[in-house]
Amino acid sequence: MKAGGFSITLVESPDIKIIGVGEGTWPTMRSSLERMGVSETDLFKHCDAAFKQGGKFAGWTTGAADDAYYHPLMLPHGFAQVNLVPHWLQRTNTQSFCDFVTPQGRLCDDGLAPKLITSPEYKGLANYAYHLDAGKFAPFLAQHCTQKLGVRHVLANIVSVDQAESGDIRGVLTKEAGEIRGDLFIDCSGFNALLIGKTLGVGFKDCGDILFCDTALASQVPYLTPDDPMPSQTIATAQDAGWIWDICLPTRRGVGYVYSSRHTNEEAARETLQKYIGPQSRDLPIRKIPIRSGHRQTFWKNNCVAIGLAGGFLEPLESSAIVLVELSAKLLAEQMPANRHVMDIVAKRFNDVTMYRWGRIIDFLKLHYVLTRRTDSAFWRDNVDPATIPDRLKELLELWKFHPPWFFDEFDRLEEVFPAASYQYVLYGMGFASESSPEDVVDTGLQAARMRQETERQTQDLRGRLPANRDLLNKIREYGLQPV
Amino acid sequence: MTQIVPLNKETYSTLKVDGRASAAHGDSQRFVQVIVKEFPHLVVHYPILFSKDPQTGQFFCGAMLGFDEGENLFLEDWQQRELYRPLYLQRGPFYANGPELAIDLDDPRVGVEGGKSLFTEQGTPSRYLQSIIWAFQDLKPGTEMTRLFIARLLELKLIEPVDVEVEFDDGTMRRCVGLYTIDQDVLSRLPDSVVVELFRRGYMRLIHYMIASLKQVPVMARKRNARLLKGTEGLASAVG
Repeated sequence: MKAGGFSITLVESPDIKIIGVGEGTWPTMRSSLERMGVSETDLFKHCDAAFKQGGKFAGWTTGAADDAYYHPLMLPHGFAQVNLVPHWLQRTNTQSFCDFVTPQGRLCDDGLAPKLITSPEYKGLANYAYHLDAGKFAPFLAQHCTQKLGVRHVLANIVSVDQAESGDIRGVLTKEAGEIRGDLFIDCSGFNALLIGKTLGVGFKDCGDILFCDTALASQVPYLTPDDPMPSQTIATAQDAGWIWDICLPTRRGVGYVYSSRHTNEEAARETLQKYIGPQSRDLPIRKIPIRSGHRQTFWKNNCVAIGLAGGFLEPLESSAIVLVELSAKLLAEQMPANRHVMDIVAKRFNDVTMYRWGRIIDFLKLHYVLTRRTDSAFWRDNVDPATIPDRLKELLELWKFHPPWFFDEFDRLEEVFPAASYQYVLYGMGFASESSPEDVVDTGLQAARMRQETERQTQDLRGRLPANRDLLNKIREYGLQPV
Repeated sequence: MTQIVPLNKETYSTLKVDGRASAAHGDSQRFVQVIVKEFPHLVVHYPILFSKDPQTGQFFCGAMLGFDEGENLFLEDWQQRELYRPLYLQRGPFYANGPELAIDLDDPRVGVEGGKSLFTEQGTPSRYLQSIIWAFQDLKPGTEMTRLFIARLLELKLIEPVDVEVEFDDGTMRRCVGLYTIDQDVLSRLPDSVVVELFRRGYMRLIHYMIASLKQVPVMARKRNARLLKGTEGLASAVG
């Protein structure tokens, strides 16, 4: 199997419906799609895609009416040269950390798009990801892969799996298309985990003791008028027993409540969601989706690698599930084993990296909960119980009291899912108190002042040039974006 | 305001229009849209480049006339009728109205003394109006042909951004952004079949006009330098 010297067959059950939520992505999606040769214009036109410039977390720290912070997608200005956290801690004004280091929160406040109609595909003036209709995105990608990339797409139900004595999978027997053989099997069978779980017996590592949310109620909310304002940030609003996502597509909003069934019941959760949506919610169907937070104990066993829900799932707080799909697929493509002989070596690497990534994502999601000062419900009180906090995160929180996260932190893996900047945005967005003294900022004072000036200048410049989010999306649907 | 009405010889038999190049009436721009049919005329004077419409993001072809906003280094040449003036400027206050011509009566160039008559005493189009009719005969299909040309180049990834950076004798620099030209690396790697296709469609010639026209940038810079020099000489004599 040399590069390009293999063929790919996708076996998809025509009877199992896709989950169809998970409408937020990470900016990695831009490079993933560009690498696949997908036109961004087509994505906007066919998947009801919109821009995402970050997450806005409302009510997570105190639950007060004005309690909100951004986790934007742009790094703090000059992040590679200077850590602005100590400078922010020593600031003399009341500016939020986000506004202190980047224009993006203010772009979101103003409802601006991250680029211009003249910006080429996949290029932005501000970093961005997408909100999209997952139900349209899957067939869109399938069409691209079959028509442009030569993937064979077989619609069939798998009835049994043929294994060699070594445990390797020789083929899958389907009801509609007979036996399909292969050298390497990627298990994308969703929560079923047909190959990695049921066939190869790899166990599931539940992390419901760390992340409590185990159920989602999902709804789709129409706009009242075609030009209703359309934020480009995912809004996550904390509730008694979880949080509500609010995502704007050009055609509708996706709104859903992710909650812990140990801390509330379905009826109360429905009420909470309906109250959030408002009077419109009466006629809207609500779909219930169980969430099993956790992941496989091993992701690649024998000649089978699990990607997607078969590998694991976590509450959709930071769009991490889809990032892991992208990173896993990229890792697999880049390190595709040349033969069965070396496959176990590649598999070991894949497992190490992927296990590390799941751990870091769990830590990062938990970070959003452990910094809360809310005590108004058992959900929030239980979340700060030290017994529910992973050791590594506990240790980092100790460290960060004196050393704000930056480079040289433990973030040592290539392509860290959430860079140190993300930790900064959440920590200082939630008012985490790192000790700092005026001496900390003496050496880098001039540099930091320059970064601050540039951020202000950039903010002004972008505010003057960027169009409204909805206006640009309308224009893209009419004229398209240029490839250069 | 604009008041665009169909042109007919009954109503407008005595109307006069000043079609000369003038800074006040649309000629003071540094970049003007052009069509592919004009390339042979343009290449000997102006850099021919692509740019994007700020409203739609769509590419169009244009001739570069200056370095600064509102700067047209060729205006005096046009006023002396020495150089080719792109059709989008030649057309003056006229518009296409289906197959007919229309005119903007509120345009300041319309109905002025010293302008040119549109019709002869016999009621036939004057030489001036005839030149406008010809301009539109070229412009209408030409705009579509140019669009097709650009679309094919985009498909072949033959368009790339270009930084036009110039330093002038007075020490100032100009960096013109938002301009695009032919990607010559991609061009040199095109498969034979595509090369033949581009040649047969007449696109290869246009591509080479665009590449050759880049050499007009330093010529334009010298023109500007000469103007700067003239300015300082004037200053020197005034001081003297």
